[in-house]
Amino acid sequence: MTMEIRRYILGRLFQITLIFFVILTVLFLLFRLAPGDPVSRMVDPNMTPEDAQRLIEQLGLDLPMWQQYLIYLENFLKGRFGISFHYGQPVSEIILNRLPNTILLFTSSILLAAFVGVFLGKIVSWKKGERIDTWVTIGALVCHTLFLPWLALIIIWVFAYWIGWFPLTGMISAEIWTDPSAGLLRKGLDIAHHMALPLITLFLIHFGSYLLVMRSSMLDTLREDYILTARAKGLDEATIRNRHAAPNAALPVITSVGLSLAFSINGGALTETVFTWPGLGRELVFAVSNNDYPLAQASFLLIAAVVLTANLVVDLLYAYLDPRIRY
Amino acid sequence: MKTGNEQRDAFAAPAGRREWLAGGWALFWENPIGKIGLILMACFALMAAASFVPPLLDPMYHPMHGVDPEISHATGPSAAHWLGTDFIGRDIFSQLLAGARIAFMVGLSAAFMSIFFGTLIGMISGYAGRFADTVLMRLADMVMVMPTLLVVLILSSLFGQLRIWTIVLLIALFRWPGVSRIIRSQTLTLKHRPFIEAARVAGASHLRIIFRHILPNVLPLAMLYMTFRVTSAIIIEAALAFLGFGDPGTVSWGMMLQWVWKTGHMFQAPYWLLPPGICISLLTLSFYMLGRAMEEVLDPRLRKEGESD
Repeated sequence: MTMEIRRYILGRLFQITLIFFVILTVLFLLFRLAPGDPVSRMVDPNMTPEDAQRLIEQLGLDLPMWQQYLIYLENFLKGRFGISFHYGQPVSEIILNRLPNTILLFTSSILLAAFVGVFLGKIVSWKKGERIDTWVTIGALVCHTLFLPWLALIIIWVFAYWIGWFPLTGMISAEIWTDPSAGLLRKGLDIAHHMALPLITLFLIHFGSYLLVMRSSMLDTLREDYILTARAKGLDEATIRNRHAAPNAALPVITSVGLSLAFSINGGALTETVFTWPGLGRELVFAVSNNDYPLAQASFLLIAAVVLTANLVVDLLYAYLDPRIRY
Repeated sequence: MKTGNEQRDAFAAPAGRREWLAGGWALFWENPIGKIGLILMACFALMAAASFVPPLLDPMYHPMHGVDPEISHATGPSAAHWLGTDFIGRDIFSQLLAGARIAFMVGLSAAFMSIFFGTLIGMISGYAGRFADTVLMRLADMVMVMPTLLVVLILSSLFGQLRIWTIVLLIALFRWPGVSRIIRSQTLTLKHRPFIEAARVAGASHLRIIFRHILPNVLPLAMLYMTFRVTSAIIIEAALAFLGFGDPGTVSWGMMLQWVWKTGHMFQAPYWLLPPGICISLLTLSFYMLGRAMEEVLDPRLRKEGESD
């Protein structure tokens, strides 16, 4: 059994590495083949000629294509992505600095949405056909199709501007982080205070679809024989629902989380941009708006890596939870 | 239960389709979700049709170039401008109507193309099997994990401002894998049905089998997924426009939101901020509801996730 799991994990790891490699290659080709001068895309036109020359040599932009490609791969492995036009710093420093912020927001919003979705879906499925079921289903559909950037603007308007409970934008308040006497707890609370609104936005967009998946999966599970057996044993409804039906019914939710990861990262980028949350998605949008090609390229690669890793985690979780799945 | 059996028969052979359609329609209309979705969509279709009217009444109602000569900043609703004007005095209501037209155009054409690619690839993959199947499905896996919005963003940074039809094509090119998987598995189950075997024995070519015998049977499923693709196409185009990478020659709802946001009117002009967002949300909701109701009609036991993006 463990042998099979190991083979499965290795197989998935290989597939995901391969996909990432293809993305890496396609990006290389696009950056070289797009109209315009490839050198001006990687080297800031405002650099001094010496600096520019050094960068051209480091990136191998004066060499034939296939050599450039090898250098590109080598640079990627060593984490060298060139210098950002806008910040004038190495791109790797910038994106590594943004990565934790994105992971924090992304992971917490998906986990929160999945748990609430599973919980509510479970409750609602038990009341199928009743009024609460209809309303919660429609509510979930509406939440799921709300246009994310607009929802974000409305939430900022209501909770940050109008009521004023939360800061308008950003991730930290400068006065707390420059205050030497501020403890870790105060800093953590400051981040949480800033994160509340983006988190609520992403949560609202995601929980609806998880709820709907959980609901229909519960309804399918309830038709299974082992539920009949549990009923025949005289177990009470709560035990049947929480112990017998829900754990199995939750599996499709995990699949659904995996399938919607690419969608979630789109939403993450939009949320980060509207809330000016200093994450990778916002950096990508910013870089594209300002023609900061090295930064755009690297942020995109890192975002792709985040999506692929999250996919792997979801697959592993599924394999761990459902022993029948070992393909 | 009777309807369930009828459906399965209709699914297996193209005969008796008219009765099946009538029965399906009754089932669809019984479902409040389907009814609400269809009514909502009809309202938006009316809006799109009405979008040609305001510019004819007065050139200042032209959604893109029409400017009220007396207004040069954002103003609230009035008799001349039912939803007010934007920051240079353009009429928000006529922009909203024009946005409905763009949304339908983008949504339907992108969805149609992605369904076209998805169905074709799914049928070939399922029917041919072996090597073609492996290659196409690995390709599908690869495209599936790509965040479409961000991919289009990167492409627009490399290739400059994208036209609306390029955006539509790109959305279609990245949104076929989900459909092709479904169509592939449906094709796999059809492949060994007696009527396909019979066609083969009778000497039908592979192309004929695929297009004459398999296609009609996967079409309802493809139409179902088209409704979900419409929602995702509308959302992606709107998000792109919102971020400032839309086609500058079109007035879409995403574009309107971009103008509100970028000109800093989001706290001052609710009459401008609310309508486009509500429209995008409700139109995508209507297609989504339509899809879910159709799903229940087509097959109650079909996978219910309904794909979220």
